[in-house]
Amino acid sequence: MRINPNITSDVLSSIYATQQQENTALQELSTGKRVNVPSDDPLAASLMVGNQDQTSRNDQYLQNVDSLNNQMQTADTALASVVAALNQAISLGVQGSTGTISSSQRQQIAQSLQGIQAQIVQLANTEIGGVYLFGGTTSTTTPYEIDSSSASGVQYNGNLGTNQVEVADGLTVQTNLPGSQLFQNANGDVFGSLQQLINALQTGTASDAATATNAVRDAYNSITENRIFYGNVENQLNSTQTFLNQEKVNLSSQENTLVGADITKAATDLTQATTAHDAALAAAAKILPTSLLNYLATPTT
Amino acid sequence: MPGLSTSMNIAVQALMADQGALDITSNNIANVNTPGYSRELAVFQEGPPVVEGNVAYGSGVTLAQFQSVRDQLLQLRIYEESGQQSNSQAQLSALNQIQTDFADPSQGVGGALTAFFDSLSQLSTNPTDSSARQQVLTAANSLASAFHQSELALQQVQQQMDQMVPQTVTQINQLTTQIAQLNAQVAEMQGLGQDPGTTQDQRDQLVQQLSQLVNVSVTQSDHGITITTGNGVPLVVAGQNFALQSGAATNGLQGVFAQGQDITSQIQGGTLGGSIQVRDTVIPNLMSQLDTLASQFTASFNSANQAGFDLSGNAGGNFFTPLTSVSGAATSFGVAITDPSQIAASSDGTSGSNGNVTNMLAVRDQQLPEGVTPTQAYANLVLAVGNYGATAQANVTASGASLQQLTDQRGAISGVSLDEESTNMIQYQRAYEAAARVVTTVDAMYSTLLSVGVTK
Repeated sequence: MRINPNITSDVLSSIYATQQQENTALQELSTGKRVNVPSDDPLAASLMVGNQDQTSRNDQYLQNVDSLNNQMQTADTALASVVAALNQAISLGVQGSTGTISSSQRQQIAQSLQGIQAQIVQLANTEIGGVYLFGGTTSTTTPYEIDSSSASGVQYNGNLGTNQVEVADGLTVQTNLPGSQLFQNANGDVFGSLQQLINALQTGTASDAATATNAVRDAYNSITENRIFYGNVENQLNSTQTFLNQEKVNLSSQENTLVGADITKAATDLTQATTAHDAALAAAAKILPTSLLNYLATPTT
Repeated sequence: MPGLSTSMNIAVQALMADQGALDITSNNIANVNTPGYSRELAVFQEGPPVVEGNVAYGSGVTLAQFQSVRDQLLQLRIYEESGQQSNSQAQLSALNQIQTDFADPSQGVGGALTAFFDSLSQLSTNPTDSSARQQVLTAANSLASAFHQSELALQQVQQQMDQMVPQTVTQINQLTTQIAQLNAQVAEMQGLGQDPGTTQDQRDQLVQQLSQLVNVSVTQSDHGITITTGNGVPLVVAGQNFALQSGAATNGLQGVFAQGQDITSQIQGGTLGGSIQVRDTVIPNLMSQLDTLASQFTASFNSANQAGFDLSGNAGGNFFTPLTSVSGAATSFGVAITDPSQIAASSDGTSGSNGNVTNMLAVRDQQLPEGVTPTQAYANLVLAVGNYGATAQANVTASGASLQQLTDQRGAISGVSLDEESTNMIQYQRAYEAAARVVTTVDAMYSTLLSVGVTK
C-alpha cells in the first residue's frame, strides 16, 4: 500500500500536539488554575461569577460585623457608665432621703445630682464616626439637650427609628435602640426620675426624695435590662462572624473545585507530555533523513 | 522480415522513451516540495506489431503520455474540510480576543456589580458617612465603565470582522479570475487529448485557497470545473468568473453582493463565513445579553432608589440615567446622580435611616424581568462566551484532524515519493543502458556484415 511519502506535516502536527499538551500542563501548574479563559470550561467559568460575588459579599459582611461590633461596644460602654452614674445617684438619693441632714447638705447633694444628670446627658449623646448612637435615625442631630423647662429636665431631639443591617444572607440585626425607648420608658425614666430627685432635694421633703430615689432605682433596673439588647447583638455578631469565616473557607474550596488545577495530575500530565514530545522529536530525527538515496552508490564519473 | 535497421530503430525508440521517463522522474523529484503537485507517471506503450505471414514482430516502445495521479473526489472533500477549518479558525481567533475580557470573574461587569452592591452593604452600617456614600458613587461609575468597556471590546471585534469582508471579497475575486483562466487552459488541453496535469494542479491549489475563504461547491463538466458558493451563486463557469461585490448593506455593515443581490446571510463556510457569523450572530447575541442586563438593571435599581429619600430628606430620583432603548443600553449606561447625598438610603426621610438600602441591596438577589438576578445574567453571558469559544476550539481541532487525514490520503495517492522516484530512476537508467547496448551490438553486427568479402 502506498502511504503519504511526505511525512513532514504529520511529524510536525504530532510535535505541535505534544507541545500544546506541555503548554497546557505548564499553564495549569504555573497559574494553579484549570480554567484560565471561559472556553476552558464554560460552566465552571460561569459559576465562578457567582462564587466571586458570594466571596466578596461574604467579605463585606465580615466588615459590616466588625464595624457594627465597634458600634455595639461603644454603646454598651456608654450604657455601663450610665448604670454606674445611676448607682451613684441612688446612693446620693438615699443620703438625701434621711431626715437628719441639713438643708445646705441637701442643696449640695442636689448639685452633685445635677452633675450626674449632665454626665448622663453627655453619655446619651455618645457618637461614633459622627453618628449619635441613641438618637434613633435622626442620627446627625444631638439627641438630648438640657431643658429646665421640661419636667424631665431634658429635651429629646431624636426619633423612634431603628436601623437593620444585613450581616449574612437573609440575616439582619437591629443596630440601635432609640434614646427615648432606652432612657425613658414605662418601666423607668432616667432623666425624669433624676429631675424628680433633684427637685425633691431642692424644694421637697425627705419622703419626696425617698419616692424619687425609688423612681431612680426603677430607671436603673430598666436600663440594666435594656442594656442586654446590645450584649445580645454582640453575641449574635460574634456567632455570625464564626459562620462567615467558615463560609469563606467553603467558598474558597468551591472555587478550587470549580477552577483549581489538580496539581498532581498537572505534574503527571507535564511529565507525560514531555516524554511524548521527546519521543516525537526523536522519531522525527530518525525518520526524516532516511531515504533510498542514502543507500545508493554515488554514480561514478 | 525485420532487419538490422529495425532492431536499431527499436533500440533508438527505447532510448528516447527511457529518456522521456527519466524526464518525468526528474520533474517529480524537482517538485517534491511543491504544494498541491500531483506526481506524474510515465505511461509506456508498445508499438503496433508488424505482421509478416504467420509471425508478428513487436515494433518497440513509445512513451504514450505523462499521466498525473489524482483523486478528484478526495480533492472535493479537502475543499470542503478546508472551508470548515478556516471558518472555525476565524471564529476562534475572534472569540479568543473576546474571551480575555470575560476571563477574570472579579473584573468586568460581574466584578463591578459585586463591588457596587458591597459598597451599598457598607453604607448600610453607617448611612450618613460621606466616605461610604462617595464609595457607592465611585463603584457605580466603575460599573458604568465596565459596561462601556465590555460593549467596546465586542464592538471592536465586530468592526475587525466587518473590515475582513471587503478584503476577503477582493481575494475571492482575484482567485476566481485566475481559476477561470486556468480552467480554460485545462479544457483546451483536454480537448487536444493532452494531460493538463500541471495546470490542473495549479488550478486545484487555487480552488483550495478559495475554499478557505468561502464555502464552494465544485462540479466537473465538459468545460472544466464549475464553482458556485454553497448556495449556488456562480463564481466560475468554464472560462468565466463572476465577481462578488462588497458594500454597505442595510444594517450599515459590509454586505456581500452577487449581481446586485445581497447574499451575505447565505455565506457559511471559510474565513468569510466565519467572520460574518461572528459579526452577525455571535457578537449581536452577546451584545444583546449585555444590553438587556444594563437596561433591566437600570430600571430595577432606579425604582429601588425612588422608593427612598436622600440625605436632605428629598424623595429619591433616578440613580442611573434612564435608558430608552434596550439596544445600545450598555453603551448609554450611566450614573445620573453626581452628589453622594442624592443616594436615597433613607426609608422615612430621616438622614440616619438606612431602611431603603435594604431595598437597593434586594436588587442584587431579585430576578430581573429576564428571569435571573443581575449576577446570574452576567454569569450567563460568560457561559455564552465560553460555549462559543469551546465550540470553535472543538471544531478547529476536529476539522484539523480530518483535514490532516484527507491530506495524508491525497499524499498517499498524489505525493512524490523520493524512494519510488529513485527506484524508477535506476530502472530507467538500466533500461537506457540496455537499449544503448543493443545499439552497440547492432553496430557490431553491421561491422561484421560490412566486412564480409572485404579482403585484407
